[in-house]
Formats: sequence, structure tokens, C-alpha cells
Amino acid sequence: MGVFVFLPLVLPLTAWPIARLAEQHLHPRTATRLLTWVAAVMAVCSTLCLALVMVVGTAQLPGNPLPDGWSDPEVRAAVPYDEVAGKAAIPALFAVLAVCGRTWWRQARVRRRAHRALAGLRDTEVAVLPDGVPYAYALPGGGRRGRVVVTTGLLACLEPAERRALFAHERAHLAARHHRFLLAVRLAAQANPFLRPLRTAVSYTTERWADEDAARTVGSRRTVARAIGKAALVSPGAPAAAPAGLAGLAAAGPVPRRVAALLGPAPAVRSWPSLFTAVGVAAWGAATGAVVSAMSSANSAVTMVLILHAATPL
Amino acid sequence: MGEQRQRPRRRGQGELEALVLSALKEADGPATAGWVQERLGGDLAYTTVITILTRLLAKGAVTRERSGRSFAWTCALDQAGLAARRMRKVLDSESDREAVLASFVTGLGPDDERLLRELLRPAGPDGED
Repeated sequence: MGVFVFLPLVLPLTAWPIARLAEQHLHPRTATRLLTWVAAVMAVCSTLCLALVMVVGTAQLPGNPLPDGWSDPEVRAAVPYDEVAGKAAIPALFAVLAVCGRTWWRQARVRRRAHRALAGLRDTEVAVLPDGVPYAYALPGGGRRGRVVVTTGLLACLEPAERRALFAHERAHLAARHHRFLLAVRLAAQANPFLRPLRTAVSYTTERWADEDAARTVGSRRTVARAIGKAALVSPGAPAAAPAGLAGLAAAGPVPRRVAALLGPAPAVRSWPSLFTAVGVAAWGAATGAVVSAMSSANSAVTMVLILHAATPL
Repeated sequence: MGEQRQRPRRRGQGELEALVLSALKEADGPATAGWVQERLGGDLAYTTVITILTRLLAKGAVTRERSGRSFAWTCALDQAGLAARRMRKVLDSESDREAVLASFVTGLGPDDERLLRELLRPAGPDGED
């Protein structure tokens, strides 16, 4: 098997150019689903691979509860550098589990606390808070019903049509359950840091998806663009990471790119693009990468189980 | 006065403000600082209650009127105002909120503002709709 055991750990590198191309060329809905699926598959494979390496690598540690047969030389030969890799895999796997568990717990806490904060209000879908600080977001339900939270500070900056665009945007987030995509890519990026570009890409494509839905609802792309632009200009908040020294839209933060996309024509919905375009290469590359990664992990797992079976009297 | 009393534990300003506000909310009409202190179980010093009320006054969350030699305080916030305060507290204290709350807009980078104004210029208030 050789170094191929480690393949699922580094295959997520293939996601970098894919995330970039898919985010620019695919319909935001397709891009979100594709990239989230790719991220989830790659993260599961990578974690599985880490677990297998750990089992083989640690079976030889004195005092471990694993059967002696698992440290058989034959088994260890299957994993290159088993001593170093096996020992390194222990803290890595625990770190992944701990960080993912913490994220999971924290997102539940934020949601619970935000719902509790709104407890005294009438149970309407839109909660308008009298606050001079302009902000708006979609608060997913999780058992309760999802709510759109918006402050009077933000509504005061927008004209009636733009307010409708804002509500349509947030409702689109709730209706399509975008928080699940966001949580999935967030966990994936923590399971394997190579998947971080996918997380950035998905948080952009979910916004684009909601923008497009809002544009369809209010019937004017320009109104949505103007609502986003105005809201961004009055909003405080830390600037999004923007690469310095580069000019043009490609290097701009997510907000100007969203506005520019809305001022352009609506993106076409295609089920699967042809292989002979940049988009096709991106989409098919992503799919192939995910499948190869999954097969590689499955291959590692099956081989490992077969070797362990042969080496142990179980 | 009351300085010799040990507070059970140190609490954040936001938490104290919330306690005082909720006590005022329960009063029928204007209440004095002494009433608020009593209502809170007396584990806050009188001066602390006054300090918090003054801070809330500056924020517009309470109003006061003179009654005799002291002030009578009233909570100026309704349910929505209280909810807004609670929500701000949640948002300020959770660094991880992006995981759940998809914000309408993210912050702008240094060049983004100029770029955005350029993009929106033809779509300004006079533009077609």
C-alpha cells in the first residue's frame, strides 16, 4: 500500500483551484451543494485515514488495550514510517475530535442564546429590534421556527423595496437551510485544514444563492444589489480579509463581488457542465477528487482490516 | 456605605445592568435606587446601584425624575428594547457566531468601500428600478 495510505490526508489540496473556479462559474446553488459535498467526503476520508494510521501506529505502544497481533510486523509494514506517523496521529486525531466537538457545541449555544434573547417578543417570523447598530441575520430554528433578526438602525437606511430585498434574502437562507452547509464546511475545515478554501467559498456561495433567490422574489436584481451595498456601507465590523496589493474585482472582498454579480446577468442553471470548459474541468475535477479520495480511504480501510484479520486469531 | 460588605463574586457590567433593568421593569411606576437595591437582595452596594442607573441613563435605557431629595427611576425600554439589548450581548460575547448566523453583509476591506460606491453609482437613487 505504501505512501498511498496517506493520500486522503493531502488530497484536499486538489480542492483549492476547484473552490475558486466553482465559486466564479457555477450557479451558486450548484456550487454550494457541490463544494459542501466534496468537503464532507474529503473530511470523512481524511479522518478515517488518521484513525487507521493511529491504530496501527499505536498498537506497539506498551500497555495499550489493542490485541498484540495488531502490531505484527506485517501490519506495520503496511504503513510507512509507522512509528512516527502512528504517534503523530494520536494527538492529531484527538485535536480534530476536540475542535469539531467544540464547534458543534458552540453553534448550538449561540442559537439557543439568540432565541432566548428574543423570547419576550411576539412570535413573528421577522423580529425587528430597536437598536441603532445596523445588522441583520437569519437565525435558524432547530426545533423552533427560524427567524429573521433585523435592527431599526439598518431598516432606516433602506428604502421599502430594499427592505423587501433584505427580508427575501434572509428568508432564502432559512428556507434552504444554509446554516447546515455552513456548519458542514466549518467542521470539514477543522478536520483537515487543507479544506479551508472550501469553507470560504461556501460562505460566499450561500450568500450568492440567497441574493439570487431574493432577486427573483422582488423581481429586480438592482434593488438587491443596492440593499447589500447600502447595508455594507453603514455596517460596522471587522473588514473581511482582502489580499493587499491586488486591484480589481477578483481581489475584492465578498460584498463588492456580490454586488457586481447582481448588477450582471442572472447565472444560468446547468445540471452538469461539459468537460471542455473551465467550469466543466472544475466540476468534474472536484467530483473526481472526491471519488478518488473516497476510494483511496476505502482501499486503506479494507486492506488494513484484511491484514489485521490475517495477523490476529480473531 | 455598604463598602464593608463583600460581594459574592465579581460580575460583568452587562450582567449588572441587566439585573437592575429587570428589577426596575418589575416596579409599578417609578422606583428609588434603594428599592432597586432591596429588590436585588441587597448584595449590591447602594453606590453601585446608583452608578449602574446613571450609566443606563446615559444609554437612554432608563429615565429619572426628582422626588423629594432623591430620584425616582423608570425603565424606558419596552420588551423589544430589552430584547435588542440581550441580542447585542449575545453577539458581542460570541466570537463564533458566524457558524450559525449568516449575516446579511460582512465587513468591507480597505478598497472595498471605494469599489462599492463605484459599482452603485449608476444604480443610485435616480437609477431605474
